[in-house]
This record gives sequence, C-alpha cells and structure tokens, in this order.
Amino acid sequence: MDAKYADSFVVEGKLALPYQYFAGRTGSRFITTIRDKKKIMGLKCDRCGKVFVPPRSTCERCFVDISNNWVDVKNTGTVTGFTVIRYKEPYQPFDPPYIQALILLDGADTPMVHIVKGIPVSQMQMGLRVKAVFAKKTTATIMDIDHFRPDVKDHVKLGYTYEELEIGMTASFSKTITETDVYLFAGISGDFNPMHMNEEFAKKTPFGTRIAHGALPQCLCAPVLGMKLPGLGTVALEITTRFKAPTYFGDTITCTGEIIEKLEDRKWVRMSLTWTNQDDKLVAEGKALVMPPQSS
Amino acid sequence: MQKNRNVGIIGVGQSVYSSHREEVNQPEMIHEAVVEALANAGITLDDVDCIVHGNMELFEMVHQPDLWHTLGTGAYGKECLRVTTGGTTGATLVCAADHLVASGLHDVVMAIGFEKLQEGHTTGGITNMADPLWGRQLQTGALTGMTAAQMIDEFGEERAKQVAMKYRIIMDKHAMKNQKAHRRLGLEFDQADDLAVNSPALVGELRMIHMCSQSDGACVMIFASEEKARQWCDQPAWIKDHVTAHREEMFCLFGDAPVLSTHRYAAKKLFERCGIQNPREEIDVFEMYDPSSWWGSDWLREFLLLEGDEHLKMIENDEITIDGAFPVNPSGGVIASNPIGATAMVRVAEAALQIMGKADTHQVPRTVNQALASGFGGTMWTVLTLLTRHVPW
Repeated sequence: MDAKYADSFVVEGKLALPYQYFAGRTGSRFITTIRDKKKIMGLKCDRCGKVFVPPRSTCERCFVDISNNWVDVKNTGTVTGFTVIRYKEPYQPFDPPYIQALILLDGADTPMVHIVKGIPVSQMQMGLRVKAVFAKKTTATIMDIDHFRPDVKDHVKLGYTYEELEIGMTASFSKTITETDVYLFAGISGDFNPMHMNEEFAKKTPFGTRIAHGALPQCLCAPVLGMKLPGLGTVALEITTRFKAPTYFGDTITCTGEIIEKLEDRKWVRMSLTWTNQDDKLVAEGKALVMPPQSS
Repeated sequence: MQKNRNVGIIGVGQSVYSSHREEVNQPEMIHEAVVEALANAGITLDDVDCIVHGNMELFEMVHQPDLWHTLGTGAYGKECLRVTTGGTTGATLVCAADHLVASGLHDVVMAIGFEKLQEGHTTGGITNMADPLWGRQLQTGALTGMTAAQMIDEFGEERAKQVAMKYRIIMDKHAMKNQKAHRRLGLEFDQADDLAVNSPALVGELRMIHMCSQSDGACVMIFASEEKARQWCDQPAWIKDHVTAHREEMFCLFGDAPVLSTHRYAAKKLFERCGIQNPREEIDVFEMYDPSSWWGSDWLREFLLLEGDEHLKMIENDEITIDGAFPVNPSGGVIASNPIGATAMVRVAEAALQIMGKADTHQVPRTVNQALASGFGGTMWTVLTLLTRHVPW
C-alpha cells in the first residue's frame, strides 16, 4: 500500500433503500393495456398533433392536459437509434452483447427505449423495421413487451416496380459451370445424353469434348430477372433464347439483362438477355418479357 | 441591508395534500399545482422566465427529478435551477427565487417544491445525512422525544402535556378549515385526556397524535419584480427579508449546556434588521414549520424571543388560534400536511395568501400587514421569511 494511505480507515457501506412509484392513471393504463390486451397506446396532443409513447399526460411543448386523448399505435415500428451493450455489469437484464434501441412505433411521434433481439449485432442498423414480442408471463412492467425483433415480412425488399424501371438499366449474374453442375442438371432434367456424360463418346461429336446442357447456362437468367432486375416479386412471362456457342466444363458464364421496352398498357417490361463466357464470347442471346413487382 | 429591487409574490398553487396520490405520478402531481399557481397569478407559462425546483434528495430514489419533471413543471426551454437543502428546501426555494428576481436576472420566477413521501423511505434518506464513521449506524430518522422530556422537566408533566395536546387540537381545528390539508381529524378539546393516553407512543412522550404526517403534494409560487407585480396583481405579498441559519450538531456539541438555537439566532437577526421591537404586536400571522406539537409549542419561545413560560401562556390563553391575538398556522401547519420538499414553501405560501387575502376559508379575520414564515430542517437549520402588505424597500 502507498504509505500516503497508511492508517486511513475506509468505511465500506451499502445503501438499500426501499421505494414505491405511483405510476398515476396515465402510466397505469399504458402498462395494464400492454399486460391485459397486448396493445400499445399513446396520448395525442390535439394542439400540435404529436402522439406520445410512452404516454405523457401533458404535452411538453403546448403545456396542455392531454390525458383523455388515448390513441392506439401499432406493435411495429422503426429503429431510430441504438447502442450495443458490450460490458458485463450486475444490474443488466441480459448478458452482453445485447442491443438497446429507440423504436418509433407506427403512429407515434416519440421513440421508446427497448431491447432488440433476433438480429446479429453486426447487422443492426438504424431504420430497421421491428415488431413487439409480448412476454409469455406478465410482470406488470414495461418488460411485458419482452423485446422487439426484426419484422421479417417487411424486411424483404421487393424489386423495382414498373414505375421505377428505366430503359437501359442492366444487371448480371456470373457462375462457373462445373462437371458437378452438369451431372446434377442431368438428374434434374433426365437428359443423360452421352454428349454431356461420356467423354469418349463426346470426342466423336463436332465439339470434341463434353459440353454442358444448353439450358444450364440459359437458366442463369433466372437470378438476374428474379433477384436483381426487376428483382424479388418478378413474374417471368416469356423467355426466348438462341444458342450461339457451346459451354465447356469450367467455363464462367455471365448472363446480362437490360430493359429495352416498357409496355405501358400491361405494365410489363421487355428485356434483352445475353450470355457470354470468360473470353467475352457470345454463348447465347435472347429476350424476356416480365411482370415487375407492384409497390408494397 | 439593501435590496436591488422589490420582489412580490403574485401567485400560489397547491395540490391537495394526501397520504397517497397513486392516481398521479410526480410530474402530474406537480402539474396540478403549476396550473393553479398560473391561474392564481392570472398569467401563462410564457410569462415565466425561470423555474426553480426542489425536494429532498433521493427521498423518492429519483436522480435529477427536475429534469424528469419537465412535463409537469413546464420548464422546457426555460432557465432552471435545482435547490435541495433538506427540510428547509421549500424555504430556500423562496430565497433563491427572491435572489433571482431581486438581482434583476429574471423578472418572473416560478418556484416548485414537491414530495411524494409515500413512494420513498424517509428514514432511509435521512440516515444518509449522518456521518458515515460515527453516526450512520446510530441514526434513527426524524423522530425525537427530547423536546417533550425537556418541557416536562421544565414545566412539570401535567402542564407540559396539556399544552402540547392543546396546541395539537388547535392545529387540527385550523386544518379543518383548510380543504387542501392532509390530516383533518375533527378533534375536540375534550378528547385531550383520552389522546394523551391512547395515542401510540413513538419516542418517550412524543406520541403519534403529536407528530406531523407524511404527505404527498406540491406547492408552487410565482415571484415577480415590483414593476410586473404591480402590473399584474392587486395585492402582492412583498418579500421584506429572509434569514438562513444552520449548524451540523442538533444539540450542544459540548454536552447538555444551554445552546443558542438556530431559530432564536435567525429571529434575532431578522427582527434587528427589520426594526421589529415587539414581534407579537407587529406580526399579524405566523406560519411555523412545526414538525410536532412539542416542537411547535417549544419553538414559539425561540421564534418570538420569549423567556420563561410566556409561550405556554400563549397556547393556554388561545392566543395562537386563527382569531386569536397572534394566529399561528391557520393552514393547520406541518402537523396536518407534510410533503417535505414543499412543506417549508407552504409556510411562506400560506403567509403570502394571508397578506393577499386569498386564504379563503382559513383567512385570519384581520388585515395582515406583516407575516412571518419559518422553515426547519436537519440537523438544525432555520429559514425565516418576513412578508409585508406594503412595498418594503
């Protein structure tokens, strides 16, 4: 011990003071509605239009009594801010890491603090859509909302709508076609033609070696149309293909789609499709007619 | 003494005082008193420049309650100050508001004192005050039977007990006239002997009936510069002077020797400064911070600089009743209502209402030209405030 502190007595103490908190009618109704009806309510100021969640009996800005002006808000909301608790401390509700977020419920103007679960810390972001998960067992506290978790339905971002699509927009997808792909495709299609399966036989064909089924590189247009352009929610109506060159095992095929026409009456779009290999050689070309997703 | 400019009390608001206010949370309860004070002064929140807020530290186990209470206080965007000086908090809030306006810093200041004693643990909070090395393990809270013992020693058991009980019943009769008071028991003088025996003993001869309540409630006062006060209020209560005196030790540091109480010290200083020769004649009403009827009886002697048994005679001769020669606590006092952070302010607020003529059903039946209010807190802390009907400086 530092000599400076020798002979100095330190009183060790701990204060444990009991207390109650009178929640008042406003706070009581907020908590009991969550507890009994699994419903979240706020108070609305008629003067400024703001909805307070958790409810406040007075509007802070207008300083008027709003305690009788209850409105329902949704159980869903948007994260407007968050922090990740990474240190361990005895008074915490969970072991770290966990996420505390400010959540602006749909219909509210003030965000409320709560826990967000069901998303990795690395993927947590502001703007995340979340939904309240109510506790199975009530404690008559704010933890009757057990936590919020990502609202998966809304989390899926649909592709471009007809209105958003413009002529000239492009997207592509690339993949290396392996022997495994060809054998699996044979199983899927039933096409065990020896030109795809038997090297000795293939040597006698004009290609001199085994080649992939034509439909195998062709179907690389599906991830372009369905997942990129227009994207999720797209329905393919018609696809035409003209094959220009074979695909050998180990070739890397890139399928590129481009919007070339917008069909106003049906809200469909026509796209050009090209398939090229690693040497930029044209493997196939064609067109697609698709129905883009409607706005969600 | 010199004062930069005069300060007038132009509005008072009080919540109802009660043992339980479960139907409102803290900011909501404060809001009741704020709304009443603004209406009483005939102004709006826009007219208020600064808000001073106070209560007992940690009695509700809430840190920085002034920030938390903004919804009820209306402090959003305004200058704010928090004051917490224990039992005297309410009186010190008045001092702070007086300084803020008198200095010229603000024209209109709203002071807010509140407490929700039922939410917290009073003795737990008070225990923190004691020295952690030699006091904290021995501290027992706010109750003490020493004054009862001393009065019995000095005046005999029968007379001392009778005086303390008479004081108690007078205070209850006053509380019965005050709609906002917490304990309104409807006591009659012929119950005195019964109460003296049957009320539960707390410490020695300090019995439950003698002791103040633990109340929930808020008090709000609005202070304005002379110019604004004259403009807005027909009869403001003017702040003439206030004195604060305090010391750590409750009793004499060197034992049992007579000790100059902070009450007597503050009163002497105040009367000297304000030229008061005979306080019983010159002061028309006294709102005393009387935590028990033993203290209330005993402290009359200190505040009025009396000797011998003069103070007992005042009680025995009905001088301290609302229509007596020297009315004390027409509101019912602290024994009736005790939301601690507000309690000392309620004394000044009630004194102000008497001057303004707005004390309603407990207005004293005389013109109040000069009113005295005392605040008390641990360990020995006194704030005395003198209010006048006429502009004092």
